[in-house]
Amino acid sequence: MATLNIVQAVKRALDEEMARDERVVVLGEDVGKRGGVFLATEGLYQKYGPDRVIDTPLAEAAIIGAAVGMATHGLRPVAEIQFADYVFPGFDQLVSQAAKLRYRSGGQFSAPMVVRMPSGGGVKGGHHHSQSPEAYFTHTAGLKVVVPSTPTDTLGLLKTAIRDDDPVVFMEPKRLYRAIKEEVPDEEFTIPLGQARIRREGTDLTLIAYGGPTVEALKAADELTKAGVSAEVLDLRSLVPWDKETVLNSVAKTGRALVIAEAPRTASFASEVAATVMEELLDQLMSPVYRVTGFDTPYPYVPDREYMPTVTRILNFAKKALDY
Amino acid sequence: MIKDTWRFEPFNEEPIRLIDEEGNWIGEFDLDLSDQELQELYRHLVRGRLLDERYQIILRQGKTSFVAPSAGHEGAQVGLAKAVRPGFDWIFPYYRDKTLLATLGYPVELLYAQMMATRLDPNKGRQMPEHPGLRELNVFTVASPIASHAPPAVGAAISAKIQGTGQVVLTTFGDGATSEGDWHAALNFAGAQGAPIVFAAENNRYAISVNFEKQSGSPRIADKAHAYGFPGYQVDGMDVLASLYVAREAVERARQGLGPSLVEFLVYRYGPHSSADDDRVYRSREEVEFWRKKDPILRFERFLEKRGLWTPEAGEKLREEVKAELLAAEEKAEAAGPVPPEWMFDDLYSTPYWLLEEQRGILLAEL
Ligand SMILES: Cc1ncc(C[n+]2csc(CCOP(=O)(O)OP(=O)(O)O)c2C)c(N)n1
Repeated sequence: MATLNIVQAVKRALDEEMARDERVVVLGEDVGKRGGVFLATEGLYQKYGPDRVIDTPLAEAAIIGAAVGMATHGLRPVAEIQFADYVFPGFDQLVSQAAKLRYRSGGQFSAPMVVRMPSGGGVKGGHHHSQSPEAYFTHTAGLKVVVPSTPTDTLGLLKTAIRDDDPVVFMEPKRLYRAIKEEVPDEEFTIPLGQARIRREGTDLTLIAYGGPTVEALKAADELTKAGVSAEVLDLRSLVPWDKETVLNSVAKTGRALVIAEAPRTASFASEVAATVMEELLDQLMSPVYRVTGFDTPYPYVPDREYMPTVTRILNFAKKALDY
Repeated sequence: MIKDTWRFEPFNEEPIRLIDEEGNWIGEFDLDLSDQELQELYRHLVRGRLLDERYQIILRQGKTSFVAPSAGHEGAQVGLAKAVRPGFDWIFPYYRDKTLLATLGYPVELLYAQMMATRLDPNKGRQMPEHPGLRELNVFTVASPIASHAPPAVGAAISAKIQGTGQVVLTTFGDGATSEGDWHAALNFAGAQGAPIVFAAENNRYAISVNFEKQSGSPRIADKAHAYGFPGYQVDGMDVLASLYVAREAVERARQGLGPSLVEFLVYRYGPHSSADDDRVYRSREEVEFWRKKDPILRFERFLEKRGLWTPEAGEKLREEVKAELLAAEEKAEAAGPVPPEWMFDDLYSTPYWLLEEQRGILLAEL
């Protein structure tokens, strides 16, 4: 077993998939000799050459748009957007072209492609290097949206995303890139999209998280244990498709839930999960489902960490739910 | 970069023209098309014009909800269609290209099926009229957001280059499209990659009501190719032979690995922007008449007549034949019947999703 962090897991997934299938190509800004600004494509250019690891002009519309054309023409492009905050110049290509191609052509054309992007805060980057824009994509029918939080999940889910026949937005919580290391099996494996992972079992309260704040959810669960409260922690991992069944089973058992995410609260994916749980389990709930999220402000440079759902914020809302 | 054998100089001062307005050949090389090929071009011009006229009729009959008139664009569109290899090369068209697609071999009944959203439409009625697409012919389904198909076209061209398929990509768009960021991003990337692609501007001088002077400070779209490092040509797009020869050269350059070109076709749309537009508020009838006199079909008739290849009677006979063909296609498309509402949930993802099945249930309960 090798010990990998999340960036290394991304790199291994790309390498394995490029070796397995010569249709897989990587494109983006600085992905070539530089290996990407976070080094997620390090060494791939040297191994696979300039036709398969393509340094693009600095234009996200060109990167995502060209990926659509490559995909429909027979390649399996993996586009890197340097920061999720810079996806917006290519937003139209994702929303108008990638997301709708299969649908609007009646299934004649498709865009099997992945758009990877480091997302989320905690890196002292201010609002243009820290956002979590997943709700724009979960709100767009036709895109799949995946947000891993561990090296193992990153590896298994990215490989699945590359093999998937639909466009997948793959958001990598950048503050965890090198913060988490774990042993990852050497043999090849994939993880299906649309399955939440039970990170920790519990009986009193369900903490539903994804991406970066999964870490804080686990820490909060530790604190709750000390206070005699048994919290179950779910990592959604995939937002489209999302695993309603696992979520409902857990909350039906615990009767209380917090949905924890870094993105601003209004019209967020956390709101979607909270609303669904309340619609379907109203009579089994012992408290409202609370959303524990980033604030409805731009992501400030200072304070950097306090914008995100901190352990304290999670515990405050847990208390509210338990005291309800 | 341009080999001696290439006929046309890029960044020409005057639009490239091979037939003058009296129908005389003014090319500086020998025409290498057979009489039969010339008559074939004529048939496609007429067919495109009549198809456009028939669309107006089905609009009035309430069988469709929207038409984007293409009369005046036929010279450029027939030239472009005849310059590529149908079903091998890839086409990324826009909504005003019915003549291009019909000439390419897009079955007319399928064009009608798209216009009327019947079951015969391979796009399953998901898009508004004038937005066709056909996988078998490598015709990328038209999208409304202006110029948004240009970056995907470049991606397909890069893919063809990487895979060494020998295919060329052709993408068309209006003059307004050349102002969009996606358009610049696409041409810039194509230039950097030397991608096998032809960018074809159908410059009818208007983007709805906005004329080209307001669209850009540069007098010619073709000149913009300078900035991306590849040749730009301006062509009289109401001259079908000039359109064909220049398009062919651009396609051949791409096929030989010499990279992209930008070809600007000067055309004019006689009708309003669409069936939802009233062009009388932004241009005079005199202006429209001026351009109608340069009509690509009339001009080509004069050309053919001088060669003994056209008479008014032969023209009339052809029109009747084409009308019958179009009517049969329309009937076939209509007979397929409307797309059922529950098709709404198909083809979104390659894999089933519980969420959509739940919503399908909501819809079915309403029907
Ligand atoms: C991104 C975008 N903005 C606005 C529109 C609305 N719109 C549809 S057609 C059109 C004019 C396009 O003009 P041009 O590119 O010159 O093509 P033409 O219609 O003249 O052939 C506009 C503004 C659109 N479809 N997409």
